Amino acid sequence: MARKQHDVLSIEWIKLELIRTAYATRGGLFSKMDPRAVLAWYLILAIAPWFTHNLTVLSVFFILGVISVALAKVGPLILGLFVFGLLTETIYIFIAALFFGGDLTTIVALTELTLKLGTISMASMAAFVSLDPEKLSDALLALRAPTLLAFAVSYGYRMLPILVEEFNTVFDNYRLRSAPPEKPGFLGYHTVVHWATMTIRSFYPIFLNTAQSVRTTVEALETRGFTYATVDNRGRDIRLAYLKIRGLDIAVLALTLVGVVMAFVVGDSWPVYRGSLSL
Amino acid sequence: MTTTNERTGQLRGAGNDGSCKHYDLSTPQKLMIFVLSMALFGLSNILLEIVPDVHIGPIDFSVSYFVFIPLTMAALFSPFWAALGAPLGEIIFTDLLMGDFSGLSEIEGFLQMFLAIYIAGSVIRNPRSRPQIVLGALLVVFIDKLLSAVVDLGKVWIGVEEAEYVEGLPESMLVLEGLGFGIDILMSGVLFGVVPALWLIPALHGKIEPLMGMRPRVPGEPFPGRAPKSGLFIGAVVLLSIASFFFAFLEAWDVNVGAFQPEFLEEYGNGFVWISVIAIVIVTALAILFFRKAQHNADQKVDN
Repeated sequence: MARKQHDVLSIEWIKLELIRTAYATRGGLFSKMDPRAVLAWYLILAIAPWFTHNLTVLSVFFILGVISVALAKVGPLILGLFVFGLLTETIYIFIAALFFGGDLTTIVALTELTLKLGTISMASMAAFVSLDPEKLSDALLALRAPTLLAFAVSYGYRMLPILVEEFNTVFDNYRLRSAPPEKPGFLGYHTVVHWATMTIRSFYPIFLNTAQSVRTTVEALETRGFTYATVDNRGRDIRLAYLKIRGLDIAVLALTLVGVVMAFVVGDSWPVYRGSLSL
Repeated sequence: MTTTNERTGQLRGAGNDGSCKHYDLSTPQKLMIFVLSMALFGLSNILLEIVPDVHIGPIDFSVSYFVFIPLTMAALFSPFWAALGAPLGEIIFTDLLMGDFSGLSEIEGFLQMFLAIYIAGSVIRNPRSRPQIVLGALLVVFIDKLLSAVVDLGKVWIGVEEAEYVEGLPESMLVLEGLGFGIDILMSGVLFGVVPALWLIPALHGKIEPLMGMRPRVPGEPFPGRAPKSGLFIGAVVLLSIASFFFAFLEAWDVNVGAFQPEFLEEYGNGFVWISVIAIVIVTALAILFFRKAQHNADQKVDN
């Protein structure tokens, strides 16, 4: 489905974007895979960067991350926030170093960390954007994670768009019912205070609404025997019966492993270390 | 209590004769507190994620989190379950969903936030007492930020002391951490902590509990899930802090020491990493054991 929205930074757009992320509606490679295989894939890319200090290897990992983000069809909001964060981080470090008399070596010294964290962030974007709440919590259950964690994940992903929507409504109510400040003040000081106050005041109704909906959810769960279902493994088996590792999963995992090994091979041939990069 | 509860019938948790005895939460109630704390703190973190950070020079003026949300949960319900839910909400809502998941340092952040909310929440014994709310709100930011500042300083100290590699970094880090700490206390602790909490906690007290099927807390009565006052508990806290330091130092070692000291690597190899990992496992296991024991002792004291 083609989107034809251009008013980019509206709350509405953010909400839709979050729903798309949470429910993995964009499709993409990893959403067709078994959730356990996706988690395994994520672990490979998340752990491998920590075992090297070779900048060549890390660059290859970074490229692998970029490819997987493209394959997973990560949305513009998440991607935009990531790129923005990466840029501000770099600029911040640069300014901090200049300000206190460091030089460009500081930048080089921190490139390695940026590459590592960037790779891991991209892997997690690709993986978690592709997993809808049901699949992710089933995968966690299959891997014997605590039931509370599996439930929290699935509940969190489901409720997030609803919560944001509800907050939006309450916030708009406060906006409609209160006059904006007459003068913006120094650097828009009055406006900032006004918005911050409205945000905080919005939490009073949000607290009450969410408390009620949480109670309804938990009581519905308990009626179906949520706590007691965790005692017996048969319920778990029925729930997880659909999980199956297929050819695609094996192919993707194998390709990633080959990619990681190749990265180390390439890094061995043309090693670049931080110490050897002198400016 | 001036408010009357509209919900008919006996409220769960109250004694049969209407008295307020020591009560324990049932499993669904614990789940409710956990989920509510997680959802609300996650929501507030999403809001903060959308607001751009304000930097003036190298100093960050942005609000790190809405302290009043987990504090309200801890003050009105149970510190332990609120403290367990809130940092998990941050990880699930913002870090996983927004692709900001950073592995080890998430665990470090989880431990620090958990300790901060648990301890600060236990300080508030009376949800209507203003000094206790002020103290609680400041304590959350103080504990959380102090732990992470110590970790940050330790990282640089360990890394840079061995080799004077990055010039101008140690002094700048010290100044930046100190300034950042003060600003965090002011922004997150006072403006978005003390001020909203002073209004929200009394406003919700007595109103939100019936919605969750619980009895409002009465000042002075022992409340469920509070931090026990014992040497064992303090020992557990110290151990958990050490565990969170180890998580941070795993990264610190990786970034600062390992990278520009290849001889160091050859000499000790990756064994150093494994020692840290084993230390984390042992320290965390001990901490959990201490927690259990302290909680158990406290429960027995109340029952007798």
